[in-house]
Amino acid sequence: MSEATKSPTVDAWWMRLLTTVGVPLLSVALAMAIGSVIIVFSGHDPIAAFSALLQGAFGGWRQIGETIMRATPLMLTGLAVGFGFRANLFNIGAEGQLILGSLGAAWLGLLLAPLPPILSIPLILIGAALFGAAWAFIPALLKAKVGAHEVITTMMFSWMALYLTSWIVSGPLADKGGIPQTPMLSGAVWLPTFDTIIPGLPPMRAHLGFLLALLVAVGVSLVLRRTTLGYEVRAVGFNPSAAQNGGISIPLTTIYALCISGALAGLAGASEVLGVTHRFFDQVSAGSGFGFTGIAVALLGKKNPVGILFAALLFGALSAGGGTMQLEADVSQKIITIVQGLIIFFVGAETIVTWFIKRRKRLALEREGATNA
Amino acid sequence: MLNGFFTPDLFASAIRMATPLALAAIGGTICERSGVVNIALEGIMLIGAFFGVVVTLATGQVWLGVLAAVLAGVALSGIHAFASVTLRMDQIVSGTALNILALGLTGFLMEVLYGHPGATDSIPHQILPVFNFPAASGTGFFATLWNWINPLLFGYTPIVYLAIIAAVLGQWAMYRTTWGLRLRALGEHPRAADTVGVRVIAGRYVAVLISGALGGLAGANLSLEQVGSFSENMSAGRGFIALAANIFGRWTPVGSYLASLLFGFAQALQIKMQAYQDVLHIPVQFFLMLPYVLTVVVLAGFMGRAVGPAEVGKPYEKE
Repeated sequence: MSEATKSPTVDAWWMRLLTTVGVPLLSVALAMAIGSVIIVFSGHDPIAAFSALLQGAFGGWRQIGETIMRATPLMLTGLAVGFGFRANLFNIGAEGQLILGSLGAAWLGLLLAPLPPILSIPLILIGAALFGAAWAFIPALLKAKVGAHEVITTMMFSWMALYLTSWIVSGPLADKGGIPQTPMLSGAVWLPTFDTIIPGLPPMRAHLGFLLALLVAVGVSLVLRRTTLGYEVRAVGFNPSAAQNGGISIPLTTIYALCISGALAGLAGASEVLGVTHRFFDQVSAGSGFGFTGIAVALLGKKNPVGILFAALLFGALSAGGGTMQLEADVSQKIITIVQGLIIFFVGAETIVTWFIKRRKRLALEREGATNA
Repeated sequence: MLNGFFTPDLFASAIRMATPLALAAIGGTICERSGVVNIALEGIMLIGAFFGVVVTLATGQVWLGVLAAVLAGVALSGIHAFASVTLRMDQIVSGTALNILALGLTGFLMEVLYGHPGATDSIPHQILPVFNFPAASGTGFFATLWNWINPLLFGYTPIVYLAIIAAVLGQWAMYRTTWGLRLRALGEHPRAADTVGVRVIAGRYVAVLISGALGGLAGANLSLEQVGSFSENMSAGRGFIALAANIFGRWTPVGSYLASLLFGFAQALQIKMQAYQDVLHIPVQFFLMLPYVLTVVVLAGFMGRAVGPAEVGKPYEKE
């Protein structure tokens, strides 16, 4: 009897540890293993591939800078998708909000360049966040009012974002010369790279956007834990009917949560434009992919800001090392997309762990029942 | 100004464009009726389109390509079934993972097999229309009538007809057979179905696998009938539009087909309008946006009034 009442709490701490750290690590390892098998089948050497990848991601200051540079937007899109998850919303269209945020940053950057950077850069960031939030607003409204699933609507808005911005950069905001892109931003609104701030570092592309992302992570964490809005978001995500009985408006919370998620994705776009590209390119053929990778980051980070930081660094490293891997081991970077899909799958499949535990417990109870009888 | 805009070809093109959407939407309908959401349809379509081309190029037999497309769709949906039915994993997460996996796998294998990114080699011969009746000459009533009827009824490749058959057959099976009754029970009240002896797990597996076969066939239509090669991410959101068509069609096969016709017409219209760009003075990107805008508009207008299966998306745990 006492055994039965004690066991849930005993389970709780080690299971929490297992699911917050063990499952993600196991998922990454499994995904890498399957990735290796695919590399072998394609006639290449996985050890050469992964050591080239590691070299490209951590081989020196410049490479580490590249990893941080790639991790920066992923942290923000990861936080964006993760924030949605907290309210039980799947913002699969973070990519579209990121694209609008990028465009907003490029436009405001042109407009606000004459202001001192201390003023212009925060204004551009806020503006880009609003662009991202605006792009999430209609899907949010439709979810709240008629229950249209955000997975379909935000996805459709991603495609619309691609074509809309493609038109804007080949028409109203086009640079001279016929390439679909906005004019280059003045250096006054660029986010400086670390080597320009810290003397002694070799030239690298990691920029202050990384600190911004860290600050945003802290901010998101505080909002979720210390504010009424955060409480409402978590309550709606945890148990909507209880939240409603407690007087929380589900439609309103849904709209806030999805728009904040969109704003964070918009910030990711702004950080890329101000820190890396310094202009907006037509993305119809390529797309950044940061929005979709953000889903993997959020899931791997267990929707938790600290976890998301580590997950973003992992995917940043994969992305930074991918080029070196392709160059030196002749293995296509597409393997990283495969690994990403597998990681999402395995992290999502943590239920297999709980399934095993439940099964074991049930069997144990049955055995106990049998001996008692 | 818009002379020659509403031609038989426009409507025939709408039916062609509707076909991959309809096949995936019918698959989505069957799947959701059993209680499982399948957003992996996007990736299923992609992987079907890819393996259709690969097997056609390897064997020279386009019908083996179609078979491969269907099997590839079944395989990917098998993973989705295992994840969402047996492991009781979040179905949206599983679907997302499989979509990304399909994108990576097709992109990776394309480079391994053909040595260049972006698109595969072209297949030597696309699948041809089933019938090939000559057009009537002359401008008389019967000649004009025939020149409308011929392309609209007899101008299509086989999978276009298969989609219509799938819609009718699906409708019949869903409402006139024991299988259909059980399928609908799985999505509405699996516990009750279980109590009266319906095998919930097996039933859901079958439904998810059927949706995979239809999604794979949709991919074959895209690559082997419409285009003649595979290009990266060629499904272009169709799997998601298909799910909207399934909702608009009120979770019925024939409804899904008819809703897909609307989206197919939007697609045909935007292609046709691009030819009139000089007259219309609207940037081409706005035409390209049309199918996606329409999807959102349709969801906004019909979502509140359409009610899906009660237990859709919820894993079933036997007591």
